Amino acid sequence: MSISRARALTLIAAAPTLARCTFDRSHVRVGSKNFTESFLIAEIYAQALENAGVPVERLFNLGSTQIAMAAMQRGNIDCYPEYTGTALIDVLHLPPIADSHTAYDVVARLFAQRYGIVWLHPSPMNDSQALATTREIAATLHLATLSDVATAAPHLRLATIQEFLARPDGLPGLQARYGGFRFREIRTYDIALKYRALLENKADVASAFTTDGAIESDRLVILRDDRHLWSAYNVAPLARKAALQARPAIARVLNAVSPAITDEAARSMNAAVENSAADPADVAAAFLKALGGRTNQS
Amino acid sequence: MTYLAAHPARVAALAAAHIELVAVALAAALLVAVPLGLWAARRRNVAPWLLGALGAIYTIPSLALLAVLVEWFGLGYTPIFVALVLYAQFMLARNVVAGINGVDRAQVDAARGLGMSPPQILLRVEFPQALPVLIGGVRIAAIAMISIATLGGYVGGVGLGVLIFNGLTLHQPQMIIAGSLAACALAITVDAALRLAEANTRIS
Amino acid sequence: MNAAQIAFEDVVVRYPGSGRNAVDGVSFELHGGELVVLLGPSGCGKSTLLRTVNRLVPLDGGRVVLDGRDVAELDPVELRRSVGYVIQAIGLFAHMSVAQNVAVVPSLLGWTRSQIAQRVDELLALVGLEPPAYRNRRPSQLSGGEAQRVGVARAIAARPRALLMDEPFGAVDVLARTALQRELVRIVRELETTTLFVTHDVDEAFRLADRIVVMRDGRVEQVATPLDLFDRPATPYVRDLVHAGDDVYRSYFVHARELLRTANT
Repeated sequence: MSISRARALTLIAAAPTLARCTFDRSHVRVGSKNFTESFLIAEIYAQALENAGVPVERLFNLGSTQIAMAAMQRGNIDCYPEYTGTALIDVLHLPPIADSHTAYDVVARLFAQRYGIVWLHPSPMNDSQALATTREIAATLHLATLSDVATAAPHLRLATIQEFLARPDGLPGLQARYGGFRFREIRTYDIALKYRALLENKADVASAFTTDGAIESDRLVILRDDRHLWSAYNVAPLARKAALQARPAIARVLNAVSPAITDEAARSMNAAVENSAADPADVAAAFLKALGGRTNQS
Repeated sequence: MTYLAAHPARVAALAAAHIELVAVALAAALLVAVPLGLWAARRRNVAPWLLGALGAIYTIPSLALLAVLVEWFGLGYTPIFVALVLYAQFMLARNVVAGINGVDRAQVDAARGLGMSPPQILLRVEFPQALPVLIGGVRIAAIAMISIATLGGYVGGVGLGVLIFNGLTLHQPQMIIAGSLAACALAITVDAALRLAEANTRIS
Repeated sequence: MNAAQIAFEDVVVRYPGSGRNAVDGVSFELHGGELVVLLGPSGCGKSTLLRTVNRLVPLDGGRVVLDGRDVAELDPVELRRSVGYVIQAIGLFAHMSVAQNVAVVPSLLGWTRSQIAQRVDELLALVGLEPPAYRNRRPSQLSGGEAQRVGVARAIAARPRALLMDEPFGAVDVLARTALQRELVRIVRELETTTLFVTHDVDEAFRLADRIVVMRDGRVEQVATPLDLFDRPATPYVRDLVHAGDDVYRSYFVHARELLRTANT
C-alpha cells in the first residue's frame, strides 16, 4: 500500500473519534452505582427513555455515591438513581429521617439549593436496612420487632457484612437506639453468602436490606424497626437541572416509571438477577412491558 | 459459555465496540508515535531518553493512569481512549526507531547521492524497508490495547469491559467469562491478521 | 561534447573536532570525458574529496566548479540527480526490482513510463545484463558483480555528464572485478562521461585512468598520466607507491597501454 493511501486511511479511521465528541452531547447519560439494585433501576430508567425515543448512553458501575455525585456535578452523567437515606446521611451529613415524605422533602430542597440537582418523583420502594430472620425462629423465639431482638440478643447469633459493623447507622447505631445490647456471636460473611448462613442454621438473625432478593422467599421475614432507627431509603431519579431543561422528556418519562417500583417489584427483580442469573436488561424490559400493559388498562 | 450462548448479539455488539475503540486509538496513537519515532531515529542521543520516558509511562499501572485521566476528562469514552493512546506510544515509537535505524545505511547513502530529497528518501527507501518492524510494533500494541481496553468497563466506557465489570457487580460469572473469552478471541484474530501482514511486507 | 568539466580550487574540508584537515587545499581539473583516478591509502581524503562534487560533504574552504558553476550555488538535490554516484557497498534498494532500481533517477526527473522502460533495457544491456533475465530480479538474487553492474546502470540512467565512483569494485570478487573494470572503461568512453574514480588499488588505477591524482594526508602528491607517474614519480612517496609490488608487470602494462594509445590516435 502506498504511503499516501495509508495516511488517508488513518484520517478516515480517526473520524469516529471526532464524531464521538459531538455524539456525546446529544445522548442522555444515565449512571448507576456498583450494586445490583442500582444497576436494575438505572436500566429501567435507561430503557424507559429509549422507549420514548430519547437516545441514552449508559455509564453504569460507578464505584460509590461519591463518584456518582462527582460525576453529576461535573456533568459527566445527567441522571442516576439515588436513595433518600444515602443522600441524607452520606452526602448531606444529616441525621437519618425515618419518615419517607419528610426525608424526600429535605433532600429535594437541599440538593436543588446546593447542587442544582433535581429529585424527580420517588418510588414507594424503601430499601432500608433491616434485620431478618427465618419464620421458624421468629415463631419460636417470638421475634417481631427489633426491640424483641434487643431483649433476646444474648442468645442470638448475628450474620452480617463488614460494612454493617462499621457504619454509624449499622450495628453501633442499632445498639445505641435499642438500649445497648450485645449479641451472643457475630460473624461476617460475603454479601452473597450471608443469607445462606441464616438458612443453614448457622445464624439466628442477619443484617439485610429490605429489598434484597433473598427475602422474596417465604422462609425469611423482616423484623420491624419499632423505634425508627433506620432512615427511609426511597429511590428516586436524580437529574441535573441543565439536562432537564435541555430535554423535558426526561422528567416526564421517569416520573411515569418511578411510582411503579414497589418493594415487591424490587425484590423480585433483585432475586431474578442474583439467584437466577438473569440479564438485568431482560429483567428491566419485562418490568417495563408489564407496566405498559397496566397503564394501558388503567 | 451460557451467557455467550444466550446473548450472542449483545456480546458481538460489545466486541464490535471494543475493536472499534482499539482501532481508532491505534490510529491516533500512530499519528503521534510515527512522527515522534522518526524525530528520535534521526537523533541517536535523544532516542534512548525518549524511549525511556515512554517506557516509564507504560509501567504506570493502568488503573492508576485511568483514575488520573478520569479526573481530567470525566467518565466515558475519552479517558480510556487517551489511556490507550498513551500506552501504545512506547511500543509503536520503539519499533519506528528500530525499523528506521535498521535500514541499510548504504542504501540511504545511495539514495541521497542519487538525488532523493529527505522526504523522498523516507518514503521511497526507509519506510518500505521499516514496514515489517513497524507492523510488528502495531501487532504488539494492538494486543496490549485489547486487554487494557477492558478497563473501560470500570469508567463508563464501551466494549467488552462493560460485560466483565457488570458481571463482577452482579455476581454473574457467566458474564465475566463471556467478556473474557470474546476479548481473547479478538486478540488472537488480530494477532494472526497482523502476522500475515508483517510477513507480506518482508523483503525477500 | 556532453561531458562535464570539474575543477577543484583550493578545496579544504575539516575533520569535525580534530585539528587536522581531511582535505587540505586540493586543486586540479578534470577535462571533459576524462577518467581520473584518485589514488591513495585509506584516510588520505580521496573519498571526502569525491563527495564534495555532489555536496554530500560540505566545504570548509575553496570551491568546486562544475561546468563553470560553483556547486555551492546549485540546489543539492538537483545537482545529485545530474551527477552519477556509485559506492563500494553498492546500496541497491532491496525492496525494489533491478528495473525499479535503475529507473530511480529518471523517475525522480519525471520521465514517462515508456521512456523509463526503454532506458532501463538499454542500460541493462550496456552493463552486460540481459534485460529479460534481469529486469525483475531482486537485489538479493544477484551476485556481487551483477549487483554493482546494476549500481552503475542506476548511476548513469539519466545520462549524467559526470560520474563519481567511490571504490565501486572493492566489494566484488577479484575475477569479476577485472571484467567490471574493463567494461567500465568501455562504458564511460562510449557515453563520454567525465568520471572521477576513487581507489587504493594501484593496479586498478593504472588499468582505468587517463590521469591519476595521488593523494596523501589530504594533499595532492602528483597529478599525471599512468606512464608519467611510473617513469617520473615526483616524490619518494609516489615512487614507493607505484613501484611497490609487481612493478615488472606494471611497467609492461603501462608501456604497452601507452603504445596502444599512441597507435590509435
